[in-house]
Amino acid sequence: MKLRARLALTLGLATISLLVLLGWAQSRWQSQLRVDALAEAAVHRMESGGRERCEANPERWPGPQGDRGARRHPGPSRHRFPRHRVFAYDADFQSRNPDNPVFPPELAQQLAAGRDIASHRAPSERRTQVAVRMPWGEGPCAVVLMRAKGPPHWFSGAVLMPAFLVALVVILVALFAAGPIVRRVRQLTESVRKLGSNSEEPIRVEGHDEIAELGTAFEQSRQTIHAQLASLREREAALRNYIANTTHDVMLPLSVLQGHLVSLQQRIEAGETLDAQAIVPSIEESQYLGSLLHNLNAAARLEASEGLAHKDPIDLNRLVERVVDRHRPIAKRKQIALEVGVPERMIEFPGDLTLLEQALGNIVQNAVRYNEADGHVAVVLDGTRNAWTLRVVDDGPGIAESDRGRVLEPSFRGTEARTRHPHGMGLGLHIASDVAKRHGLRLTLGDTDGGGLTVELRFAQRDT
Amino acid sequence: MSNRILLVEDDLALGQQVVDTLSQAGFDPHWVQDGDAARGLNPDDYRVIVLDLMLPGTYGMDLLKRYRTKSEVPVLILSARDDTADKIRGLKLGADDYVTKPFFPEELVARIQACLRRPNLVGTVRLVVGAIQIDLERREVTTSDGTLSLTPVEFEILALLARRKGSAVTRDALVDAALDTAHDRSRRTLDVHISRLRGKLRSDAAQLETVWGIGYRLSEGS
Repeated sequence: MKLRARLALTLGLATISLLVLLGWAQSRWQSQLRVDALAEAAVHRMESGGRERCEANPERWPGPQGDRGARRHPGPSRHRFPRHRVFAYDADFQSRNPDNPVFPPELAQQLAAGRDIASHRAPSERRTQVAVRMPWGEGPCAVVLMRAKGPPHWFSGAVLMPAFLVALVVILVALFAAGPIVRRVRQLTESVRKLGSNSEEPIRVEGHDEIAELGTAFEQSRQTIHAQLASLREREAALRNYIANTTHDVMLPLSVLQGHLVSLQQRIEAGETLDAQAIVPSIEESQYLGSLLHNLNAAARLEASEGLAHKDPIDLNRLVERVVDRHRPIAKRKQIALEVGVPERMIEFPGDLTLLEQALGNIVQNAVRYNEADGHVAVVLDGTRNAWTLRVVDDGPGIAESDRGRVLEPSFRGTEARTRHPHGMGLGLHIASDVAKRHGLRLTLGDTDGGGLTVELRFAQRDT
Repeated sequence: MSNRILLVEDDLALGQQVVDTLSQAGFDPHWVQDGDAARGLNPDDYRVIVLDLMLPGTYGMDLLKRYRTKSEVPVLILSARDDTADKIRGLKLGADDYVTKPFFPEELVARIQACLRRPNLVGTVRLVVGAIQIDLERREVTTSDGTLSLTPVEFEILALLARRKGSAVTRDALVDAALDTAHDRSRRTLDVHISRLRGKLRSDAAQLETVWGIGYRLSEGS
């Protein structure tokens, strides 16, 4: 059912219900008024000579009678008596007048229960009957029965017909009045339908009512959905870019690795005796590959958010030992002494475990990778949880002072960093620098006594 | 059970490689390839459990939870994921350490040895490092050359190095622990004490190693 028809029908039904209810209430009220008026008429009639005439000739009183009343009461009452008929009975509800009707048992029951006025109106009858016990209470005219027509029953056409007519008018008015509302709803529907076709057109519904609010809500949702779609597209593009870059970055060391392996194969085929050192470049390259993938992953995570996704208490002693253990095999093969020193008491620090480990791993990896045989790398953690220092000291070639600032730029774009030094120290130290910054750590590069690089990560709790 | 290690790893190539590595390192590996089979095993039958997380059948994290309800055996997680939440969850569930793939076989052995190395020194009064024996209560040091006569500073240095045998101890830590705050606390002074200590250790002096960039280490010796 359409909105307009539904609205009109609802209003029509509500009007009918309301009018029928009012009719019922009015009917009840009129019935009560009629009972009161009839009782007053009975008393008035008997007290104004009716009793004497009745008792003098009870067999014939009141004689032939049409409907009486419908005239203004001459006494203090302001009621107009309804047209009625009157009948007299003794205290046992028997009449001497043979033309009188049998006293209604419903009324007799009420009077017998001690009431002075009894009334009855059967739903099927269109008249009201009222019995009044006279003050004298004896003789042939002790009880007077009054009968009058009406009032109309609430269920009658007299009440229902006007109700239906009014309802009909209301329905017609509603159908007419609902027109503008329906038009606006249709306009809103059209706008919302356009959402599916990815339209940039905003949803606008004029006015200040609920339909306008609904339109505003749809518009806000449209904007949110568009923003999310844009973000998803951006992420999809970034992912595609990431995959493309990763493929490119991985292919380079993979090619180098393949080159090493092919060279080894050719040397073996040529009958050359190889020592263990011959395989080191291949192992180094495979380690670089793994590290590169971890770094690309870390770079993607750092680019995706401003802060830290995880912050858990980290056992720094264990982290340092783990990183050193990871690089020990390659250091051993390169004949580089890799040593670790951690304090006896565990230092706990809140941070992102993976990123911190990656950052330290990058620093240690660089120290090992760029050092020569018989070189040294030492990783030293010192201090307490409130102030600690983590130093990676090496006696390798170091980094020229002029280059140090650039490799520790506070922010970077992954792509830029990758392409700048795809096979060098760029990405690793950039990540370390970014991770340090996000953890509130100070990362500095310095000279090692006697030559080499010392990378220091320092944490000092601020006084609050 | 002395060197028995449970390996729960579903990848055949990696599993075989780890088994070979552990065997070469002197361990006795027991390799189980799926989580359901690992559920029925008693963790206390092993010295260390090496557990992969992505397993067919029971998920590795559930196995870890199950093992931890009845055993304190060290558990080392093998994770292919570079995911912080997984590592943290594993550690919170009671894993002792983790190794992220890819890894060198030696790295895994080193982490297992680190798990086994954690000694409980609470209440220990006697430390033995190779030929050097230290009685902390009587403050007496015996070497292969007999009982040594050490100054209080030399004794503190040796005791600290012995407590952390095999590990490099920074100069700063030794200075803090052994040197008197009222006197000279420089590293140079420490080096002098070390030099004297080496002299007193005589034939066992090689156990007291200088560690480049860090400080000193007391090793078991050859």
